[in-house]
Amino acid sequence: MSVEDTANQVRSSAFVVSARRRKWQKISKTAGESTLLLIASFVAVVVLFIFYFVARDAVPFFQIRGFSEFFTSTNWYPADEPPGFGALAIIYGSLMVTVGSALIAIPMGVTAAICLSDVIPFSVRQYVKPIIEMLAAIPSVAFGFFALVILAPLLQNFGGPILMWTWWLIASPFLLLAVIVATELFTARISNEKSRNLISRGLIAVLGVTAIGFLFVVGRKLQGIEILTGTNALNVSIILSFMALPTIVSVSEDALQAVGRELREGSYALGATRAETIVKTILPAASSGILAAVILGIMRALGETMVVWMASGNSSHIPNPWFNYLESVRTLTATIAGDMGEADQVTGSARFHVLFAMGLLLLIISFVSNFISERIIVRQRKVLSGQ
Amino acid sequence: MNLGTRKLLDRAFTALGFGSIAIMGLMLLIVLVPIVSNGISALVFRSTVEHRKMAYNEFHRGNQTSLDKEIAESDAARKPVYEILSGFEAELKLMDEDKQQEYKDKYDQVRTALRALLGPLPGESEPALTRLKYGQNRWEKAEEKLHEFLYEKKWDYSNPDVAAKEYFVSRSAGFEGTSLVRLFPYVEKNIDRMLLPEWTFYWGFITDSSVDSHIFGGIWPEIQGTIFLAVGAMLFAFPLGVVAAVYFTEYAREGFFTSLLRSANSTLAGVPSIVFGLFGLAFFINTLKVSESKSVLAGSLTLAIMILPTIIRSAEEAILAVPRTYKEASLGLGSTKWNTIVTVILPAALPGILTGGVISLGRAAGETAPIIFTAAVSVGSAIGLADVFSSPTPALSWNIYNLASEHEAASEIRHVQYGMVLSLITIVLLLNLSAIVLRARISKKLKG
Repeated sequence: MSVEDTANQVRSSAFVVSARRRKWQKISKTAGESTLLLIASFVAVVVLFIFYFVARDAVPFFQIRGFSEFFTSTNWYPADEPPGFGALAIIYGSLMVTVGSALIAIPMGVTAAICLSDVIPFSVRQYVKPIIEMLAAIPSVAFGFFALVILAPLLQNFGGPILMWTWWLIASPFLLLAVIVATELFTARISNEKSRNLISRGLIAVLGVTAIGFLFVVGRKLQGIEILTGTNALNVSIILSFMALPTIVSVSEDALQAVGRELREGSYALGATRAETIVKTILPAASSGILAAVILGIMRALGETMVVWMASGNSSHIPNPWFNYLESVRTLTATIAGDMGEADQVTGSARFHVLFAMGLLLLIISFVSNFISERIIVRQRKVLSGQ
Repeated sequence: MNLGTRKLLDRAFTALGFGSIAIMGLMLLIVLVPIVSNGISALVFRSTVEHRKMAYNEFHRGNQTSLDKEIAESDAARKPVYEILSGFEAELKLMDEDKQQEYKDKYDQVRTALRALLGPLPGESEPALTRLKYGQNRWEKAEEKLHEFLYEKKWDYSNPDVAAKEYFVSRSAGFEGTSLVRLFPYVEKNIDRMLLPEWTFYWGFITDSSVDSHIFGGIWPEIQGTIFLAVGAMLFAFPLGVVAAVYFTEYAREGFFTSLLRSANSTLAGVPSIVFGLFGLAFFINTLKVSESKSVLAGSLTLAIMILPTIIRSAEEAILAVPRTYKEASLGLGSTKWNTIVTVILPAALPGILTGGVISLGRAAGETAPIIFTAAVSVGSAIGLADVFSSPTPALSWNIYNLASEHEAASEIRHVQYGMVLSLITIVLLLNLSAIVLRARISKKLKG
């Protein structure tokens, strides 16, 4: 501001400008600025329009059918006579794949972000970033095609072995670590070195055998699982998690970077290792930013259409038992995309408007979570700059 | 905890981070490798003489004299097959009623399998569907069909506890003692003489339109539709986005209204893509009536709204990255603010703005959900530039879904689907790659 004002002052004092011309300049400046403002407000207008036009077509549904059926019944037979518009199973399906993808994406995304911001040297980082950018750039329909044509048959034919190997690969390092740490913790108080060594060896042997036994038992059980259909909630969750990862990684990396050097240096100076510094100092400081990242990532999974439409199986029922990820589900987005083709011909019917009701539901969820994550980011920035 | 354990935990923690990144890279490979390798097979494959017949008849491509020679060669190899068939038919007529009934179904199956392999058999009327006019175009498909011809697939339901298992029965065993038995070894042995496979680079896959809903031909209408939609979206969104970014960075005063506009921007960025589709249908088509029904224009407008926040954000960043000294120097020389923006700031920020634009272009090209209700059709020919205001278009993203999930012969045309996915990914990743290169050059330039 100040630079421009000074420039204006200098200009008007240095050159003799007639009053008329100055007036003209002022008018044109105001006009130009308001035009710019008008164009910039376009976005806000669009958001209002989206809410208005989706709501306008959603309201008739609730006028015709009321609220309770939509949210409490699992009876989804929009084409039957009499029709059923119970979307509970569909809402549950959306929730299920979102939670599933979050369970995979959050640990991976946050650890990857930590690795990017605190572990990997800068020179290597510029080779890792394109991986994340490419993951973000691959169109959703390509992921959907992969899920349908490659992953689904794999899961269907080799589901058990795949689950077992995944279990082994993920669980065995963690269990190994847990055994060692537990032994250390148990034996730390024993002062006599000789007996400590003996006890710790014994403990490692006992715990190790138990751990391996546990690995085998669970692995056997997983291997025995037969996946009846490859287009199921698990398939979709895996793919969606990889679509949510880029958002989670990049936003939480920003949050980690925003934590200043001083905190890190202070922690290192007190003798903490890198892991301790990150877990005990940096993560708490960046936690709200990471939360925002997680919310944004999850929203990507919830709002994703093509993958779930192609690979979730599209059967609108609540799996039995409720956490069975190996069954087909149906989501809000896929229902909107899939049913509009038939419902479009009967514009004005409940069958048409129910899809807008689902759209409105998605819109509201995304608006609220976006608002929350934005508030969180703003607050964190204030806190960090205030310190 | 002693030092050793703490160090171990530290290492484990680092390994966890590296593991996550490695899994992401691995996933990228797992997704890309099969798509690329199978996608290339849509372009480079062993084509049979049937493919060359198809290319000549449908696209007037190829050399007639050499094709005639090949046809004569393959017909000579096929002649004994047809002779065996007619010989068996004559034999069939002499048998008694029961025997005839017994063989009739099996014989029909043999004919169907043979027709799938070699095209219409002699004496049959010309089929109406183009897909039935030719035999197998691709050698690897022909090998599959050969197996189907030699063996009948059956299902074993004997054990009710497990899912039915498939098993194969040789067809020739069913014709033991008749003249048809000779047919099977002959076909198996001479299949390559009947189909004459040779390696082909079929560039028509990119430039041809499809024949008989993608059974034959290429994907040009889809590629063109994708280009139209994405470029159309850019035409609307890019100028708007840049101007809005200029306002946000140069004119907006921090206050309630500006923060409202900013949160509107991030709200728009978070709206699920399918909701944009609903909005496009409800607003552009049902309310504004920019076109009778779906059209490229409506689709482009919808996509434009979707990519607007990204463009604004990246343009803002690019403008903010321009060193303050540029602006001060320009103002110091006596130019007005507007002049400074147009002649100094925007040119300096242009590469950065373009980077954001190119990435958004890629996103518009790859997005499916917003165009389902506003622009996309399953089958169609390439549209002219004048039709964009009124007619819908096929597009890569939509047709990948359509061919993979809704096509009646989805498993027969996997190569077309892979080819489409590869084309789409190539377009999008090339755009992103150019953005990455552009950005690297900018950062080099800014560093001096």
